[in-house]
Formats: sequence, structure tokens, C-alpha cells
Amino acid sequence: MNAALAAKLLALADDEYVLGHRDSEWCGHAPILEEDIAFANIAQDEIGHAALWLNLLQDLTGNDPDRLIFFRKAADWRNAQLCELPKGDWAFTMIRQYLFDAAELVRLAETVNSTYKPVAEVSTKIRPEELYHYRHSSNWVKRLGLGTEESHNRMQTELDEFWPYALQLFAPIAGEEDLIAEGIVPAPPALQTAWEGVVRPWLADSGLKVPNSAQLAAINRQHHTEHLITLLADMQEVARVEGPEVKW
Amino acid sequence: MDTQWPRWEVFEKERPDWPYRNAGSVHAPDAEMALENARDVFVRRPRCLSLWVVPASQIFTKTAQELVAGWEPEAVDPTRPVEPYLVFQKQTQRATETFVVHVGEVEARSSEEALAAALEKFAGRSVFVWWMCPARAITQSDEADAAAMFTPAESKPYRHPQFYKVVTQLREIKLKASE
Repeated sequence: MNAALAAKLLALADDEYVLGHRDSEWCGHAPILEEDIAFANIAQDEIGHAALWLNLLQDLTGNDPDRLIFFRKAADWRNAQLCELPKGDWAFTMIRQYLFDAAELVRLAETVNSTYKPVAEVSTKIRPEELYHYRHSSNWVKRLGLGTEESHNRMQTELDEFWPYALQLFAPIAGEEDLIAEGIVPAPPALQTAWEGVVRPWLADSGLKVPNSAQLAAINRQHHTEHLITLLADMQEVARVEGPEVKW
Repeated sequence: MDTQWPRWEVFEKERPDWPYRNAGSVHAPDAEMALENARDVFVRRPRCLSLWVVPASQIFTKTAQELVAGWEPEAVDPTRPVEPYLVFQKQTQRATETFVVHVGEVEARSSEEALAAALEKFAGRSVFVWWMCPARAITQSDEADAAAMFTPAESKPYRHPQFYKVVTQLREIKLKASE
């Protein structure tokens, strides 16, 4: 069970960390000053959540979070591809953030009651932040979806292309059935149903149509796009040049 | 063409026994987004209980100098309904305490009439600036949203600007430079 729990914690942390890094790329470039502050704060929150999950992983396996983040090869990351895609335009950023935030919302509503106490504690701590993220990204989605013809079209285009990637968030990981049986994490199919119950009506109210696309073929978290490699090259460069022994 | 979103004045309430006070302003397309921007820009830490946002265009303002120079309220259409107006004052010029704070309400048919009423009702204090706005122009953060809006800030570490001792350090640097 420990191996499955470690894999699950790593997947949770990697989603948060990689998305947080992509979000941080907007710092100084968001559409307006107020949003720049808001979104940089969201990026920081996501990276903070990753740190909390990585601390639980360290308690379980002894793995040093800094080494995992700054010295791990792309093939060993376990984030969903949705999180690693380039930041794109504001429409893509908001669609991705919204679909991710909704997934966080439904999962945290369950994991606050996890039978593994550390998972319940971390979930309780990060839940208010994710509630706010959801509120923020859902408001943007509605305003862009119902905004101008251009904002609507851009949102619809991004939703059509990236809806299948969002479904990756519910791909089960190896051994997860044991964690579900133990009441440590909820079952992905139930989460996906709850998630669709949240996002489908909201997207419809935002004037957006969910595409009738099947799930992506390569859905497990071992597979990555080339974008993760460039992201890591950028993010890990300084740590790799200086080496793991350097004290900051 | 001006492509800026409208400007909103932001008021925050930090403690139950403190009045709402002006934190600054944000741009936003509507009241709900103004509340979110206000939250992100001004109250990510340390703590906040409630926020007000008001379209800046709805605030009528007069300084003490303008009043001394002579001011008479414009005549109001007598058929306009009487409604509550909120009264705000800037009561001090001290560098660390230059907030415009909410001091109370008056009933009036216009902002100008509200100021005339406030000058009588709140007479006797030294006031540097008066702000008036109709109560209906205010959008208040929803109490049900407090967990998402304000709880995260409470567990985040922060430092007051004074921590960095910029003023004293600059003074020392200048002193050394002049020696």
C-alpha cells in the first residue's frame, strides 16, 4: 500500500507543481495589473500545495522534495499532460485552470475525510485556497465565454482541444484500488462524475459546448509531451549547474 | 478610446470593532470581479473580515480647503427619493494613518445634500477629506464566501513594511554619505 500511496502523493504534487510553474510564467504578463497579482498568487498557492504533498511523500519514503523537483528527469514526472502544456493565450490559461480547479474542488471535498490522517490534514489546509481558485477561474470563464465574439470563439476552441486532456486528471494510477478500498482517496470514476456535474452546467451557462470527444489514448501519467522537457530544462537549469550540494 | 475597466474604491474591515476603511482602488469589469481583485490586491494578508467595493464614479468628494473656499450644495429635484448615504472621512494626515474611514450614514436625496447633512451631523471633528456615496452603490463580500476569500490569508506568513526598517536604514546611509 505504501508504494501506491507514494505514487499517488507524487501525482498530486506533480500536477500542482507543474501547473504552478506554468501559471508563474504569467507573472508580469497577465492582462491587467490586478490579475497579474491575483494569478501570481494562485501560482504560488499551487507550488505551496505541491510542497505539502511532497512533505507527506518524504515522511513516507525519505525522498527529498528539492531533489525531486530540481533533479528529476521528465520521464519520472507523474503530472497529467494538461498541466505541462505551454501557457498559450489567456483563454487557454483560464480553461485549463478552471477544469483543474474544479477537479481539485471535488477531490478535496472527499480527501478532507481521508482515513490517512496526513492526507486529510493537508486537504483541510489547502481546500479554502482551492475554493478561491475555483471562484476566480470560473468567473473568468463565464465572462470570456459570454463576452465578445472573439473571447467566446477563443474559449470554445481551447475547450474543444483540451477537454480530453482534462479527462487525464481522472486516470487511475497503479495500485490505486487499494487506496480506494482503504478509504484513503476517492475512486477516480466517481470523481469524474462529480467533476462533470460541476463543470458541464457552468460551461453551458458560460455559452460553451463540451465536445463529444473520447478520452486520449495515451492516458497514463508516464507519458509526457515534449513541453515538459523544455519546462524542466528551464526550471532546473540553475540547480543543475550549481549541483545538489549547494546550500541556498 | 479608453479601454480601461471602471475603477472601484475598496474598503476593508479588519476587526469587528473597526470601521470599514479605504484600502485603495482596483479596476474591474463588474462588482463581483472588483471584490476578487480587491481581495487579491489588498487583503491577501494579514486578515480581513469583509470588503466593500464602490464604483469610483459614485463617490462625491470634497476637501477641507474646498469647503473653506466656500461651497453650497446644488439644489436637488424635490421629487427625488430620500435614501441612505454613507459618510467617510479622512481625519488625520499622519503618514501611517491616512485612511478614509466610514463614520456613519445620513438620509438625503443627492450626494451634495448628503454632504450638507454630514457637515451638521459630524461637526466638530477635524476632517481633511469627505467622501459620500449612496448605500446602494456598495457591494459587500458575501459572508458565505469568507472561507474562500479571507481564511487562506490567516495562515500565511507576512511582514509589515516596518520590518525592513527602510526609513532608518536610509537615514543612516544618508548620514554616512554626508560625513
